[in-house]
Amino acid sequence: MPLFGQCFLSDVLKKPVLDPRGDVAGRLKDVLVVKGEPLAKVAAILVTRNRRSFLVPWRDVEMFNRRILSIRCEAESIQSYQLADEDLLAVRDILDKQIVDANGAKVVRVNDIRLEGYNGEAVLTAADVGVRGLLRRLGVERQSERFFGLLKVQLPLTLISWQYIQALSPKLKTLALTVPRQMVAALHPADLAEILSQVSRDEGRSLLTELDVKTAAGALSELESEEQVQLIAEIDAQKAADIIEEMPPDEASDVLGDLPADKAKEILDRIEVKESEDIQELLGYEEDSAGGLMTTEFIAYPSTLTAGEAIQRFKERAGRDEPMYQVYAIGADDKFVGVVALRSLLIAESTEPLHTLVEARQRTVPPDIDGRHIATLMSKYNLIALPVVGADGRLLGVVTIDDVIDRLLPAAVRKKRKA
Amino acid sequence: MLRSPRRLWSRLVLLGSIIGPGIITANIDNDAGGIATYSIAGAHFGYALLWTMVPATVVLIVVQEMASRMGVVTGKGLAALIRERFGVLVTFWLMVALLVTDLGNTTAEFAGWAASMELFGVSKYISVPLGALFIWLLVVKGTYRVFERIFLGICLVYLTYVVAAVMAKPDWVDVAKHTLRPTLRFDAAYLSMTIGLVGTTIAPWMQFYLQSAIVEKGVRPDQYWGVRVDVIVGSFMTDIVALFIMVACGATLFHAGIHVDSAEQAAQALTPLAGRYASLLFAAGLANASLFSACILPLATAYYICEAMGWEAGVDKTLREAPQFIGLYTGFIVVGAMIVMIPRVPLIPIMWITQVINGIMLPFVLLLMLKLVNDETLMKGWTNSRFQNTVAWVTTWVMIALTVGLLVSSVA
Repeated sequence: MPLFGQCFLSDVLKKPVLDPRGDVAGRLKDVLVVKGEPLAKVAAILVTRNRRSFLVPWRDVEMFNRRILSIRCEAESIQSYQLADEDLLAVRDILDKQIVDANGAKVVRVNDIRLEGYNGEAVLTAADVGVRGLLRRLGVERQSERFFGLLKVQLPLTLISWQYIQALSPKLKTLALTVPRQMVAALHPADLAEILSQVSRDEGRSLLTELDVKTAAGALSELESEEQVQLIAEIDAQKAADIIEEMPPDEASDVLGDLPADKAKEILDRIEVKESEDIQELLGYEEDSAGGLMTTEFIAYPSTLTAGEAIQRFKERAGRDEPMYQVYAIGADDKFVGVVALRSLLIAESTEPLHTLVEARQRTVPPDIDGRHIATLMSKYNLIALPVVGADGRLLGVVTIDDVIDRLLPAAVRKKRKA
Repeated sequence: MLRSPRRLWSRLVLLGSIIGPGIITANIDNDAGGIATYSIAGAHFGYALLWTMVPATVVLIVVQEMASRMGVVTGKGLAALIRERFGVLVTFWLMVALLVTDLGNTTAEFAGWAASMELFGVSKYISVPLGALFIWLLVVKGTYRVFERIFLGICLVYLTYVVAAVMAKPDWVDVAKHTLRPTLRFDAAYLSMTIGLVGTTIAPWMQFYLQSAIVEKGVRPDQYWGVRVDVIVGSFMTDIVALFIMVACGATLFHAGIHVDSAEQAAQALTPLAGRYASLLFAAGLANASLFSACILPLATAYYICEAMGWEAGVDKTLREAPQFIGLYTGFIVVGAMIVMIPRVPLIPIMWITQVINGIMLPFVLLLMLKLVNDETLMKGWTNSRFQNTVAWVTTWVMIALTVGLLVSSVA
């Protein structure tokens, strides 16, 4: 048991490592980390002497704590070690790098790493991302503690448990555990979007491509349009197509509309025909018009359907879609008949046909009307969704209140909300 | 490549969205300290130092281009890269040194603002608090996009110096001759002025600010040519403005044999020689440059310190979201403004010490930058060319030599 209790990496770094005779074999330069269950563990320590590095396997480490570092083998017998790129080294690859704190949904920098003895191994239990970690690295933790103690201020210890950490750069891939991956996917899309916008492009790209398509689509929808374009333009077209397919058609068309034409085409070609047609139709409209704002994902039933049948159908499908508060009654040739609020549907007799349930005096708009006008209408008539009807009377899509709000809020407020 | 008009048009639009960081960074470089240095250089040496602007431009372009390239390729700020590559210790002390320098610089900016407003008859006890409040609100309540556009507009105000220079009626043939043909002299005054000129042209903090601003823009490597245009245009603009300041002072004060110690004295002395309007333009230019830099410097400092330490940062954030960032920014402005308002505070020594630390820091920052920019795993095929490395290394060594020379001569 080389390590009892716990210690911080900075406590042992650069300390002399003693061999069995008590001579200094070198100084601790780094530790090699491998994936383990349940936490990553130290597999070997890297000792450096006269600019040469030696790798000492963990089983040959006798003592490993903040006072004494010692090994069981003679310094001369250890082979010199050439660092390989795929090795994961705590100092080289983790310390000072950015990580996602999946629990707090933000990006932080690793100031220090806490190790703990567990079943004879040294496991990585937490990352110190706070000011104490910084002070410890600078070698003034004790002094600062005393100083702030005089001021009656307690220095907080900001640790993130290793299981809430999600590595950002591909370098750390070997370390990726299943738990954090799920943690990241469980984040609210808006939080995930915030993380994506904080990290460098490469890191954002690798994070996005590793997420499942649904989560990625959710996060992407929440980003500002320039950031969406940046990310989508960087990732592989097939993956991009998969993600965009998951997005509501109106948002998908916004993203594609902002991409360079050749890239957009490349992605569109890989999207399912049905989805791709919807998106292309939307792409034909001005961005700030009813056509550009509307979604083509809505629920429409023949106006002759009874309330009971409609509810049955709604139950079968609506769970998979965006939240819906109303359904649309359509006649022959998709002609718009009217809006049926879910409430009306629920309180109606189950035999009543839909066309008797439609809202009186329902407003509709043509696809070329501009966004500001729509907002005025929605505000005036207290609408949460506004049907878009073409010149031929066909129901083309629906503008929902959330699309209008996003369009109207000044960029500053949108950003503030996200931050 | 630019043959079809449509393509040209789309390129221009792209350029319009990318341009900004390079021009802004280069222009802030002509801050209160810079204008003072150029004015004094012009007044004491006439056109004899105009030639320094040619190598200064080359160096400025090469160094800024390196920073912006790193920003585009890695998507990270310089402070973040230094922290990730060189660890906490190096980063921490670098940040401490930059903090001190930038605080001194910010104070100098407020001093420049106060002095120029006094030329317009406004007491510093009114102008300094109002100016400080204005720039604080601009950053804390504004958004970055708007902000950058405003700054880009402000950059045009620097052209007042060009107008002031024209009004001073210089002999243009003489100006051209001195710009293109170096005059080498080896007396102490001339040498230390040369150091001052080069030192004020590339400051360490600029590279951090530029790189972060470019990262914030999220420029992709295939759009990098736009950044290059931005940096080159900015560098030329800066040095042309600097050149015209020297010309304005050289054509008038030098000929009349008037000795000045500061930019505001130069502005005052211009009245009888080049007319009241030239003098007012000169003062307006100083006011603009000082306030502009007093805004960007604290912002840049807060930004890269947070970046290095791993704290939340961004002009769009609130105090609760980014306490260290807003705290640093506010603290800088408050302390800078307060120092200037202390009666009889020795401003000249403060500025001088600041410039010296600036000079000492620069080679270190350049060395770190060179190490990073030539790292193949980091830059993926975007490392320095041989020419870029040569210019950067020569600059680094010249700066080291100049700084050592300055220190030795000031001690002796």
